[in-house]
Amino acid sequence: MPGGDFHPIAFSIIAAWILVCGIGVVTFKNIVHSAVSMVFCFLGVAAIYLLLNASLVAIIQLLVYVGAISVVILFAIMLTEAQEGEYRLFFNRQSIFAFPLTVAVAVVVTAILVSSRYPQPISLKSLTPNLKGLATLLFNVYVFPFELVSLVLLAAMIGAIVLARREDELQ
Amino acid sequence: MSAIDWYLVLATLLFCIGAFGVLARRNLILIVMSLELMLNAVNIALVAFSNFVPGVAGKGPIFALFVITIAAAEVTIGLAIVIANYRNRRSLQADSFDELKG
Amino acid sequence: MKAIITLIPLLPLFGFVVTLIFGKRLFGKRADVLAVAVVTVAWVLSMYVFYHVFTHREDALQVQLFGWIGSGSLHVTWGYYVDTLTAVMLLVVGTIGMLVHYYSIGYMRGDEGYYRFFAYLNLFMFAMFTLILANNYLLMFLGWEGVGLCSYLLIAFWFRKKSASQAGKKAFLVNRIGDFGFTLAMFLLILSVNTLQFTGVFAQVGSIGNTTLLAICLLLFMGAIGKSAQFPLHVWLPDAMEGPTPVSALIHAATMVNAGVYMVARSYPLFIHSHAAMLVVMSIGAFTAIYAALIALTQNDIKRVIAYSTVSSLGFMFMALGAGAWAAGIFYLLAHGFFKGLLFLASGSVIHAMSGEQDMRLMGGLRKKLPLTFWTMLTGAVAMAGIFPLSGFWAKDEIIGGAFRAGYYWVWVVGIVTAFVTAIYMGRLIFLTFWGENRAAAEVQHHIHESPKVMTVPLVLLAIPAAVLGMIVGLPPDGGWIHRFLEPVFFRVESEPFSWIGSGGLLMLVSLAVVLLGVYAAYVMYIRSRELPAELSKSFPWAYRASFNKFYMDEFYEVSVIRPVIDGANWLWTFFDVKAIDGSVNGLAWLWDRFARLIRPLQTGRVQNYAFAIFSGMFVLVIVLRWIWGS
Repeated sequence: MPGGDFHPIAFSIIAAWILVCGIGVVTFKNIVHSAVSMVFCFLGVAAIYLLLNASLVAIIQLLVYVGAISVVILFAIMLTEAQEGEYRLFFNRQSIFAFPLTVAVAVVVTAILVSSRYPQPISLKSLTPNLKGLATLLFNVYVFPFELVSLVLLAAMIGAIVLARREDELQ
Repeated sequence: MSAIDWYLVLATLLFCIGAFGVLARRNLILIVMSLELMLNAVNIALVAFSNFVPGVAGKGPIFALFVITIAAAEVTIGLAIVIANYRNRRSLQADSFDELKG
Repeated sequence: MKAIITLIPLLPLFGFVVTLIFGKRLFGKRADVLAVAVVTVAWVLSMYVFYHVFTHREDALQVQLFGWIGSGSLHVTWGYYVDTLTAVMLLVVGTIGMLVHYYSIGYMRGDEGYYRFFAYLNLFMFAMFTLILANNYLLMFLGWEGVGLCSYLLIAFWFRKKSASQAGKKAFLVNRIGDFGFTLAMFLLILSVNTLQFTGVFAQVGSIGNTTLLAICLLLFMGAIGKSAQFPLHVWLPDAMEGPTPVSALIHAATMVNAGVYMVARSYPLFIHSHAAMLVVMSIGAFTAIYAALIALTQNDIKRVIAYSTVSSLGFMFMALGAGAWAAGIFYLLAHGFFKGLLFLASGSVIHAMSGEQDMRLMGGLRKKLPLTFWTMLTGAVAMAGIFPLSGFWAKDEIIGGAFRAGYYWVWVVGIVTAFVTAIYMGRLIFLTFWGENRAAAEVQHHIHESPKVMTVPLVLLAIPAAVLGMIVGLPPDGGWIHRFLEPVFFRVESEPFSWIGSGGLLMLVSLAVVLLGVYAAYVMYIRSRELPAELSKSFPWAYRASFNKFYMDEFYEVSVIRPVIDGANWLWTFFDVKAIDGSVNGLAWLWDRFARLIRPLQTGRVQNYAFAIFSGMFVLVIVLRWIWGS
């Protein structure tokens, strides 16, 4: 087990938590259960960010994912009144190929990660700058993409309104 | 194995779980949710890299922020399309939409 | 002088552009105003140039306007060259061109394409002036093609009439064959002397090899055969009579068809170095002369008779050139331009009076009703037949006599026989048209009237030179003014003085006697005992049929050229195009269609299938990058 800023116990608990919740998302029969499981998974990811010393990302994760996206998804579920059915109807016909494929990808990539050596020395200490450092980076070097992404959000908002409106509301 | 490897393995596994959801589930909303899992996995990898690799400090979190923003936009549009589709077809089954086949 | 020579072709070009584009709007029903005016001015200028050359005959006028084409060491300029030969042509083209313009005012009145007609006539004048003024072969060829184009446009002037548009196409296509020879001749000239300027070519004629020179001469003559309607490319000229009569007079009698003769005469320094080429020119000319005359005997269309007589006359001219009687040939060209133009214009007047009827069997007795037309046409016919003392007599006699003196006795025989036949058919033309009683329908008879002044005055003006020209320029025979005038061009002429009492006078008497005999025969056949022609044709049916059907030349082309071409094109269409080309294209399309059907199931329309493909691809890529390409 590596030392430094790595907390093996906390990491193991949180990682297990994330993976279990993730598996829950893709396997739950009831879509509402999946959604709840997803929210818990997002919470776990936020915890991982904290472990990685990125408290800003963790807070944004809470705000956007747990707060906003989850709610939007729940609304969508409510609007579409998902019908219950047989369990096998929840997976499509290619799932018998998809399962081995994803497992194979996981195994291969993990094997690569474990067996590889890095071309440059890897720090054991946490290098993420503090909030002030991130803010300086965001509003100096990345200010243009930052502004641009706000435009993307605006466009997405307008697009979503246009798409989701009922036809009869247009008159 | 150094610290970064553990985070990357976690990201890989989460990514594959999400990918399985995208590839195998029928429900369109669930596909969107699985996509979010994949994006989260990528974010974990980004933050982990910048936390442990010298020279890129700070860029990971910034990228993650952008990804989260774009993900929010994507979810909005995606769900709007799902809902519009559902209105027209009364269906959320991904494999029932195959009008564009050859 | 330079400006004047430049203006001569430029004025009709200007008239053409303005009349064609603005003629209808600017002048309305008087669309002829500008066209006639520019041609009149051009005539005045031509006469001035003629006068200048007349007084300074030794030095040719040269005008260089601008460099036209430059390619490597080859330079072709746009320039003019005026010597005495050009001056003679200017006289013919300018005068007859102008008179035909005036005549057309009356003849074409009320036609819906009135302005178009005058525009084309102007364009023709431009091209013809360019042709005769050019100082190099390429510029001459430009004019050559220009007159060909105008010929096509004017023959097919009444293009709604199917036969007219067919005749136009025929003229164009047949001329192309000759033009092809002309083009090849120019290429050979470029290859051997690297210039197309007349002066340059003629100066280096000694450096051209014998075989090459013969080839150049024969190819040039091939162009002349097409343009001047010599056997075997004569078939277009009779059909060209579908065009309006002023066109027949201007283009197909007096000017354009002479272009071939002019070109051979212009190439005099080339031809005199190639005896074989001269022999070919003479043989073709002689054959065409008698051949066309025999056809003219039996034709019923008044214009066709004159058309075949034109072919025959052109054959006479080539015969003269080939026999070495160059000046006599040009003399005949000059005289022929006037009396043949006159004959055509007069026949136009007759047709005009007969409400468009052209069949001589339905005419007759017009002597009293159309006195002016009668007298002028009689003058033309007598000149054409070659009766003392009209112009045709002197010119024709010089040619026949020249052949005799040069030792070509068989050519002399052909000439005499042709003269005899010519006298018969010209007599037949006059007797059928103007004597006897009118055989037309009552309706047509009622409308017979003399043509307006604007048509008859040109007739009279043409009749004067047709009558007296020979006596002015051709006396004494073989040494008249025209010979001395053309001496700078045909510099090698060695003519012994003409002997009135001796072989010269004797030959003249013989030819005159033969011609008078021909006229008498025509008189017997068409006035005294009218049943004779029918009996003759019954006694010799094969001869009559051969002549009447133009010796089956058109049929021969139909079988030997046109049919095979059409069949070949049909084969290319039905087999090669439809089966091979379409087949391969369609086959390719069919192949792609099969292939597409094969792989079409891959496109299921389900996004998750596509995502699966992407994900598999990524998996393969990871493996490849790490274990196959990676270290």
